Amino acid sequence: MKFVWKYVVILALLAVAPFFVLPPFLTHIGVMIGIYTTLALSMNLMLRIGQISFAHGAFMGLGAYGSALMMMRLDLPFTVAFLAAALGVALLALLVGSLFLRIRGVYFVLLTFAFGEIIVLTFIEWVSLFGGSGGLPGVPPPSLFGYAIGSREGFYLLSLGLAAFAFALVRTIYGTELGAVITSLDEDEALTRSLGIDSRRYRLLTFCVSAFLAGMGGALYGHYLTLVTPEDYGFWVPVNLVMMNVIGGIAQPIGAVLGALLLVPLPELLRDAKQYQMLLYGIVLILFLLFMPDGMHGLFSKLKGHLARRELSR
Amino acid sequence: MEFALQIVVNGLMSSLVYILMALGFTLIFGIMRVVNFAHGEMYMIAAFLVYALVGSLGWNYYLVVVLSALALGVFGAILERALFRPFVGRELQGMIMALAVSITLQAVAFILFGPNDLSVPRPITGVFDVGPMVIPRDRVAVGASALVVLLAFYVFMRYTKTGLAMRAVVQDEDIASIYGVRPKIIHPLAFGIGAMLAGFAGALMAPIYTIHPYMGAQPMLKAFIVVILGGLGSVPGAVLGGIILGLLESLFATLVNTTVATMVCFGIVVLILLFKPTGLLAR
Repeated sequence: MKFVWKYVVILALLAVAPFFVLPPFLTHIGVMIGIYTTLALSMNLMLRIGQISFAHGAFMGLGAYGSALMMMRLDLPFTVAFLAAALGVALLALLVGSLFLRIRGVYFVLLTFAFGEIIVLTFIEWVSLFGGSGGLPGVPPPSLFGYAIGSREGFYLLSLGLAAFAFALVRTIYGTELGAVITSLDEDEALTRSLGIDSRRYRLLTFCVSAFLAGMGGALYGHYLTLVTPEDYGFWVPVNLVMMNVIGGIAQPIGAVLGALLLVPLPELLRDAKQYQMLLYGIVLILFLLFMPDGMHGLFSKLKGHLARRELSR
Repeated sequence: MEFALQIVVNGLMSSLVYILMALGFTLIFGIMRVVNFAHGEMYMIAAFLVYALVGSLGWNYYLVVVLSALALGVFGAILERALFRPFVGRELQGMIMALAVSITLQAVAFILFGPNDLSVPRPITGVFDVGPMVIPRDRVAVGASALVVLLAFYVFMRYTKTGLAMRAVVQDEDIASIYGVRPKIIHPLAFGIGAMLAGFAGALMAPIYTIHPYMGAQPMLKAFIVVILGGLGSVPGAVLGGIILGLLESLFATLVNTTVATMVCFGIVVLILLFKPTGLLAR
C-alpha cells in the first residue's frame, strides 16, 4: 500500500498546482502532458506485445470526432459521449484486431499504417459528417455533474485525472498475471502457448485496452482544442508516441510518462522554431537508439544500481 | 477509347518513377530487413541538390542528375555504416531509426532552405500530340531516363557477381556468407544503391514538381504501396506493383479524385497484408 500513498500525494500536489503556482501557459502545457501521457501509455501496451500500431493516430481521431459529433449532433451529455466514443474505438479495435493481430513485426506496422490512413482520408473525404480538411469547429466544452468545464484549470484537472487513470490501469495490468502473460508474448510466444494459454485473446485484449485509452486521449484533445481536424491524427501521432516511449524507456509505464514529460513541452516552448525542435527530436532519438536503448528510465535504474553497489562496497 | 489510352499513358509514366523509388526501398528491406522510412528524404535531398546546383549555380541539369544520384549513393552507404548497422535483423528498432533519420533530414532541409516551395526551370518544355493524346515532353524524358536506370539496375542485379551476391543475401544471408559473400560490404552497397535510385527519382522529378522539405512524403508513400503490392523484398514484385499503382491511380484520379485513388490503394494494401503478406508475386 505504501506506493499507492506515494502516488496519491504526487497526484494531490499536481492537482492543486495550477491554482497556486502555475502560470496559465504552464497549465496549458500540463493539459497537453496529461493527454500525451495517456496516449503514450496506450502505445506502451502495444510495445509490450511487440506490435507497434500506427493506427493509433486514427484511433485518437475517431475518439475526438466521435465525442464531438455525439455532443454536437445527438445532444448527448459529455460523459456519455466521451465514454461512448472511447468504447466505440475499442469496439473497432476488437473487430479489426481479430484479423490484424495475426500479422507480426513490420508487417503489422505497415498494415495498421495503411488502415489508419484510410480512416484519416475518410475524415477528409466525408465532408458532410466530418467537415473535410477544415475539420469540425466549435466543439463544445466538457461538462461534469452539470458544470461546464471551459477553463484551462478545469481541463488540467480532467487531463490529470485521465493520465492518472491510464497510469493506474497500465500499472495494474502489468502487475497482475495478465501482465505477465502479455510480456511473455513478445519474449517467447511459443512457450506461452505451450502452457495452454490462448495468446491471441491476450493480444486482442491488449489492443482493445490500448485503443480505448487512445480514444479517450483523443476525445479530450478534441474538446480542449475545440477544433478537430484530420491532420492532427495522421502518421506523426504514433511516431511521436513511439518516440516518447523510446526516450522515456519502454520497459516500464513510468517510461511513457517520462517521455511525455520530456517531449511535450518542447513544441510548446519552441513554437516559433519548429524546425529546430524537429532537429532536436531526430538527433535525440538517434542518440537514444544507438547509445541508450533502455531510455531515460533505464538510465535512472542503472544509476540507482550503480549507487547501490557503491553503498554495498563500502 | 482515346480517354482510356490517355489514362494508361499517364499511369505508366507515373509508374516508372514509382518503380524507381520502390526498387531501392525493397532492396534495402530485402537485404537488411530495415523498413527505410527515410527513403523519401533521399528523393528530397536529390531535388534540393538540383535546386542548389542548377537553379543557383547554373550547372548543366543532366550532369547534376547523375552527380546527385551518385552523391546520394555515397550518403546512403554512410548512413548504413553510421546508423543502421546495429539494427540489422532487429526490424522494429531499425524502422524507428529510419523515422528518426527522416525527421532529422527534414529539419535540416527546412533550416537550410526554408519552408517555401522552390522550383527550378524545366530543361524541356512543350508537349507531344500523339493522335488525340497530349503527352508533356518532360514527362516522356523522365520516363525514358527512369527506364534506362531501371534497365541498368536489372543488368547489374542479373549479370554481375555483386548482383548475384545481393540476390543471395536476399534469399538467405547465412548461407550466402558461407559461400564467401560478406554482409559488411553488401549492406552499405545495397543501402547506397537504394538511396541512389531514390536520388535519381528526386533529381528527375525536381523540375516537374515544387521542391520543399516535406516533398519526400508522397513518393515514400507510393513506394510503400508499390512494395506491399509486389511483396516486401521482391525486385520483380516492385516492377509489377509500380505498374499496378500507376494505372490504378490514374484511373481513379481521372474518374473520381486523388483522395479516393489513395484510399483505394491503401484498401488494397490492407487486403494484401492480411491475406497474402508476401505480395502478389510470392512463390
